[in-house]
Amino acid sequence: MVSRGEDTTTTTGDRQITKLPDEAPVAIAVDHISKTYPTPFARLKAFFRRKSKPPVEAVRDVTFNVKRGEIFGLIGRNGAGKTTLTKIIATLIQPTSGAVLVNGFDSVQDDEAVRSQIGLAGAEERSFYWRLTGEENLLFFARLYGLPDRVSKERIADLFARFELQEVARRRFGELSTGNKQRLAVARALLANPSVLLLDEPTRSLDPLAAARMRELIASLARQDPPATILFTSHNLAEVETLCDRVAIISKGELKAIDTPFSLRALTSDSERVHLAVAGLSKVTIEGRFGREVKSWIVKPTVSGVEISFDRRRGDTKLDAAIGLIRENGGTIISIESERPTLLDLLESFEAEEETSQAVSGNRR
Amino acid sequence: MNSLKLLPRRVYAFLARDFRLFVSYRMQFFLRVLSVLGVVTTLFFISKIFVGFTDTRFTQWRDPLAAWLTGLAVLNYFMTGFSSLANAVRQEQMQGTLESVLLTPINLPTVIVASSAWDFVQATFFSFLYLFFGWIFFDVNYSGSFSLALVFLLLTTLVLASLGILSASFAMVFKRGDPFAMFLGTGSALFSGVFFPTQLLREHAGPVSGISKILPPTYGLDGIRRVLIEGQGFREVSEPLITLLVMLAILLPFSLWVFGRAVRRAKREGSLIQY
Repeated sequence: MVSRGEDTTTTTGDRQITKLPDEAPVAIAVDHISKTYPTPFARLKAFFRRKSKPPVEAVRDVTFNVKRGEIFGLIGRNGAGKTTLTKIIATLIQPTSGAVLVNGFDSVQDDEAVRSQIGLAGAEERSFYWRLTGEENLLFFARLYGLPDRVSKERIADLFARFELQEVARRRFGELSTGNKQRLAVARALLANPSVLLLDEPTRSLDPLAAARMRELIASLARQDPPATILFTSHNLAEVETLCDRVAIISKGELKAIDTPFSLRALTSDSERVHLAVAGLSKVTIEGRFGREVKSWIVKPTVSGVEISFDRRRGDTKLDAAIGLIRENGGTIISIESERPTLLDLLESFEAEEETSQAVSGNRR
Repeated sequence: MNSLKLLPRRVYAFLARDFRLFVSYRMQFFLRVLSVLGVVTTLFFISKIFVGFTDTRFTQWRDPLAAWLTGLAVLNYFMTGFSSLANAVRQEQMQGTLESVLLTPINLPTVIVASSAWDFVQATFFSFLYLFFGWIFFDVNYSGSFSLALVFLLLTTLVLASLGILSASFAMVFKRGDPFAMFLGTGSALFSGVFFPTQLLREHAGPVSGISKILPPTYGLDGIRRVLIEGQGFREVSEPLITLLVMLAILLPFSLWVFGRAVRRAKREGSLIQY
């Protein structure tokens, strides 16, 4: 593991998230990127006075940096611009304006150098040769990376072992299950040991167990020495929250927010719902003995006692007061859980905001 | 520079891939060999109709079977030189594999050259098969310098490959409906002297016969027949040779320029992988 200076480590869900220092080197720099897909043959159509569709603005002035070793999530609805952005970074599409640098190489000027730094695993099954085996497919791509055959074969064997694909290595790609195809796509992205990984929904077709292993693997790639930088798109927001150091929310081609999952959730609301499981007290006791302050509580009887739920603002004294009250009256707290706004809530709030502003501008017109 | 160093490895990668794909369709290969044998046999019987009728003015056509087989073998090769480049792009686009290939540190011209390599291997084999079947089963004899014939073959293939690059550029932007393929595909068989001497066109088709003069296969075919059938040497065939060199000097840089523009346009439009 490279030195991270003043790194701090926190635990979120099942993943230990390492907070990167501000001075960590930038692996991907996206600088004021815009992409408008032009109307094909617009001038010709205009000359013949034929109707043509307007140009499509897929990405508008997007700027962000991804630091080395960071797992960076990109979320948004279908058509939000995530794929366009990923493809611009992967040099498959040229931006209309702005620049993307990958480890200091420009995606337009030094596209080959950029491609030698990245591995992309997409959700497209057709990106393999269906009549070739998994092994033959990977060997072909390894040769395109310029790897000698001996190195390629060792690397492929290692990747097959890592992704538990040994048994299907000699089966034709077309005969593989969707999950195995997906794993093979990620294995291919890792073939040349890239320092930057672009993963487009890598767990989409995996069963829960395989998805968990994939997440573990992705997390381990960012921890290895030297660490891989991972740009990750997913519609599974819980997965993004668990895995990513930072998340960018993109809506209708615009970057709406960018921060850690924790800070992003706070953008929606700073309140949370607290659930306390309490033993030794009944609903009747609470309603009879407790004072006015518990009027906003929801009390539900359970087998061992009651479940108390209430809303609080983060940092207020409501939780502390509740715990004191329960203890004073002979209750025992068995568990405490808090329910915070999710990234989905945030995504929904951005979408609602967008729809409102569109409605307002529509009314003005 | 690095791309150039890695080119043989990459060409090998595509050749190995295409060989694997090829052996997964064995039946197709055997049927194609049979079809070549069928064509050669048919032409042998047609040539028997002309025994004793061959016009001596057309020295290359004294043995029409030899002229037809040379024509078909060479045309097969020329057409590969022309079409394989555009087909390479189109096939990868249709399979959906172009994007994953282009994600490796390889440039598009290398993809096109390397992925058409197997087509040339096949074309060489089947072109040889036309001549081989004629020689082994029907006593067709070839004289003259095979190395000079090879120079003609390579030169004409390069000229057609330049047109192939234009065709690939067209495929990249317009996806389908390539006018070069139609012009060269139909035009070569009719105007380049594959099945009959081009002199007959001048006598019977008037100004239309001028088309044969702008088609590269006319010169390639004429040169190869002069060498292999009439046994002519370097000096006698210098005229078609120079014509092909001039065509190459004009077409190659032009087609590479057009191709560069087509790639930039496709990347700008985001349509590189669409078909």
